[in-house]
Amino acid sequence: MAFYEQHIHPKPTTFLSKYVFSFDHKVIAKQFLWYGIFFLLVGGLMALMIRWTLAYPGQPFPVIGHFLFPTSNGAVPPDTYAMLFTMHGTIMIFYAITPILIGAFGNFCIPLMLGARDMAFPLLNMLSYHVAVISGALLLGSLFVPLGAAAGGWTSYPTLSTLIGSPGVGQTLWTLAIFVLGVSSTMGAVNYITTIITLRAPGMGYFDMPLTVWGLGLTAILNAIFLPVLGAGCLLLIFDRVFGTTFFLAGAAATTGTGDPVLFQHVFWIFGHPEVYILILPAWGIVSDLLSFFARKPAFGAKATALSMTSITILSTLVYGHHMFTTQMSPLLTQTFMTLTMTISIPSAIFFANWLGTIWKGSIRFHSPMLFSLGVVFVFGLGGLTGLYLGTVTTDLYLHDTYFVVGHFHYTMAASVLLGGFAGTYFWMPKMFGTIMNEFWAKIHFWITMLGLNGVFFAMMLVGYGGMHRRIFNPFIYEFTQKLIPLNTFATWSAIVMGFAQIIFVVNFVHAVFFKKEKASDNPWEVGTLEWTIPSPAPHYNFKEIPVVKCGPHELGNPNLSNGRDYQYQTEELA
Amino acid sequence: MENKIFTEPVLKNTESLGFFEMIQPPEDISEHGHLIDYLFNYTTVMNIFFFFLVCIGIFGFSYLYHRKRHPKPYYTYGNKKTHITVATVIGIAVFLGIDLNITRLSNNDYTGIFINWPDESKEDVVKVQVLAQQWAWNFRQAGADGIFNTQDDVVTLNDLRVPAGKKVVFQILSKDVIHSLYFPNARRKTDAIPGRMTRMWIQFNKPGNYDIACAEMCGTYHYRMAAKLTVYEEEDFNHWLAEAHQIYNSVNDPEDPNIYWGWKWNSTSSNKKLGMN
Amino acid sequence: MTTMVMNNKREMREKMTSSIAMVLTLVSLSMLFATLMLGYVAYRFTSDVWPPLGMERAALELPTLSTVIILVSSLTYYFTETSFLSQKLKQFKVFFSLTFLLGVGFMISQMFLWKNLEATGIYVDTTVFGSIIYAFTWIHAAHVIGGIVALLFLIPSLTGKRDYLKGQIWVKNVGQYWHFLGIVWFILYFSIFIF
Repeated sequence: MAFYEQHIHPKPTTFLSKYVFSFDHKVIAKQFLWYGIFFLLVGGLMALMIRWTLAYPGQPFPVIGHFLFPTSNGAVPPDTYAMLFTMHGTIMIFYAITPILIGAFGNFCIPLMLGARDMAFPLLNMLSYHVAVISGALLLGSLFVPLGAAAGGWTSYPTLSTLIGSPGVGQTLWTLAIFVLGVSSTMGAVNYITTIITLRAPGMGYFDMPLTVWGLGLTAILNAIFLPVLGAGCLLLIFDRVFGTTFFLAGAAATTGTGDPVLFQHVFWIFGHPEVYILILPAWGIVSDLLSFFARKPAFGAKATALSMTSITILSTLVYGHHMFTTQMSPLLTQTFMTLTMTISIPSAIFFANWLGTIWKGSIRFHSPMLFSLGVVFVFGLGGLTGLYLGTVTTDLYLHDTYFVVGHFHYTMAASVLLGGFAGTYFWMPKMFGTIMNEFWAKIHFWITMLGLNGVFFAMMLVGYGGMHRRIFNPFIYEFTQKLIPLNTFATWSAIVMGFAQIIFVVNFVHAVFFKKEKASDNPWEVGTLEWTIPSPAPHYNFKEIPVVKCGPHELGNPNLSNGRDYQYQTEELA
Repeated sequence: MENKIFTEPVLKNTESLGFFEMIQPPEDISEHGHLIDYLFNYTTVMNIFFFFLVCIGIFGFSYLYHRKRHPKPYYTYGNKKTHITVATVIGIAVFLGIDLNITRLSNNDYTGIFINWPDESKEDVVKVQVLAQQWAWNFRQAGADGIFNTQDDVVTLNDLRVPAGKKVVFQILSKDVIHSLYFPNARRKTDAIPGRMTRMWIQFNKPGNYDIACAEMCGTYHYRMAAKLTVYEEEDFNHWLAEAHQIYNSVNDPEDPNIYWGWKWNSTSSNKKLGMN
Repeated sequence: MTTMVMNNKREMREKMTSSIAMVLTLVSLSMLFATLMLGYVAYRFTSDVWPPLGMERAALELPTLSTVIILVSSLTYYFTETSFLSQKLKQFKVFFSLTFLLGVGFMISQMFLWKNLEATGIYVDTTVFGSIIYAFTWIHAAHVIGGIVALLFLIPSLTGKRDYLKGQIWVKNVGQYWHFLGIVWFILYFSIFIF
């Protein structure tokens, strides 16, 4: 099956070749993980500043307020607020989720689960990480420029994002940073897809791959196709800002001929809608596998789940217009987008049913990876259903640009992906770092996170239903938002609780990585995918001998198993 | 720094409101806003039903099939005929039951009402031109001559006055960046785009004072790009309009280019490009 | 003998792997240029008159010269590849040099094109018409520079320092990229300058 067998390279010896310029996909995965966790914390802090301002406008932000915002008595000023929600969105999407789910889990899991020694192109892999670092530096650098960082929302619609609305170099640096990150992710995508096609172990057909790899592979396909679309849009925006082109300028700003600001929206959302599926597909894949592992039975309808994820991947390319209903596209376009958006329900419902079918009549162990996976099922069910309101045009005309949208995408993106990412971290910690994270504190982390998370995001949806629009520094100058103040305050305190719960995770994580003495066994979760056939942590060459695959990835609970185990490795004949 | 921004009032008498009242949308004063509310509630009922089933699955199965309660799992790939049928039926049921239903309802409202522009030759509509700018709303109603962009136009800043019970047609444009004209009490919003006119029509039914907000990020002061909507009884509106015509006719300076941001009222085509050519 | 055959098979498989990757890369780049085309189509078809604001079309001599240069360079690259595969080193060096020179020549013709456009009053900031011509040709030219750099990676095969089979992989993939750029230019030429 594999096109060729990769050589076993000698173990790297110098500090630089081991930790900085490593070709090893596992090291690169860890680099992306630390990178992503760092930006997750930065983005999370920004979120808390936003929520503080929404609950207590004008009041100094606790502890660090006076240091950060001396001129406004420690409170977040309006222009900084705009920068905060812009950067929060950008950082969470491109610098936290993408590196953790796609960069870290993609890099770590794909070769190991396929029975390969590394990615198809290790040098390209290393470069993709360092290009991402350059992008991160550009973004963080943009925070310190004189006229301030980008402040037009992560969607950066023109003409606000052109020189008319955003003078200064901050927005240009932001656009450049996004472009560079797109290059990094595209490099990664090419690598992942090629690896999946060419380096599967002998005997592993596409439907013998774990669903995690399906999720990551489909994500890579969407990335490879649609990131360049965003790239083109970013380039044209940069040209507008730097060279005076008029692609997106119109109205009074267009002194040298007119462009079309709405064209940017089309280009942006042609990328943007697949992007949200890019962010969720890895988590779907991970959850599909983990539900099976901890229910000790095969993934229900695994082939159907894989095909559903594939059809969602395809359908996601056809529905982007539902982000633009208020721009008054032609009625035909509007109706088409509405109807196509609805069709995504079918495959979603099918694999959702398969998830429930997996735990149906299982023998469920509630270790932390399982708790988080069930959490994903819950929050994605809720979040996905709220998308329906936004898919129908008429309700969208009310809900567009309100907190209802914010609640919806935080449920589907932030909550689901975050919980999926935690599930993956707790699950693969033994293979990555050789230890298991503390299970008691993991469970505490889960429950408090779920509590806080549902508090914030459900409150957001209620507030949005109440009509409160988004991206506003002080919503309460309006009559109609006055009664929503208590809900906003509740959301803020839920966010603070959720934020503090993450400290538990960080301490647990750092302890497990650096300080824990007790080493994990080779296969603590007792499952059969290929990464668990090798020692924990995985040796630098992964597999001494390339495994030969003889059965599927979810062979658990087979009554014919005789040797005291309730699972079998993929290298064993089907019992 | 302008400290007065930070001392805006935060709390009013919201303690008296129950939770249920707190989460209601703003009072609907429009003729057709209830269609949106109905569709929302319809979708909510459907969603609650299906999410309830999901929760039964998650919590029920977690309880029933806990390792201690159910030590032997049922070994199946989920690819038997019954399994596939059940999963597919669920998928199709969701699609037909929720999706197609709400699409049908929404489409009917959309084509039947929201983009069904009133025939201005037959109906008596109130015409308003809106120019959005950073960070204010300019409204224009034609003067006694009925022609837009002439000296007798009623041009107001952040102050829209309309009669109850009559259809109001808006033609909307932006001067600089993209804004969005948002009437929370009518459940409607439409983007204001530089270089391209958008339209919206609403019938307001209940007199009173209401909010207008901007619903598209447009810069630092996007959050206070507020305007006031005053809905009059028809008589009061006519009274106001007649007075306004007189006042503005004398006050509008024919030499001041800032007043003449209006355009020829275009009543036939939709989405006509404005500005260049 | 058997090890050579096994290695042969392995190299062929590696070649297929890198071809897959190159195809994916070209798909990505196609989407980049396709988006630019989408923008162009949108502007062109929503404007009542083209070029807008009474501007004149660009003179066709220099764009046509660029087109001829890049198409000939694809031809010389084709011969570069065939002479490499039939292991005719001298021919390989000749055609490689021609391709390299034509690549540089294309860049020079582009610079003349840009200068000429400015002389006729079409600047990068003169309406969306100017914006499109410059932005698209700049983006294409940036990728051509990448292609010229990629050509440099064939030099180890010229000097005989690289294994023949590994060289095959390089020659094939650089070729695909090079021809791709020619196709993109051709489409660009037709839609922006001619049509």
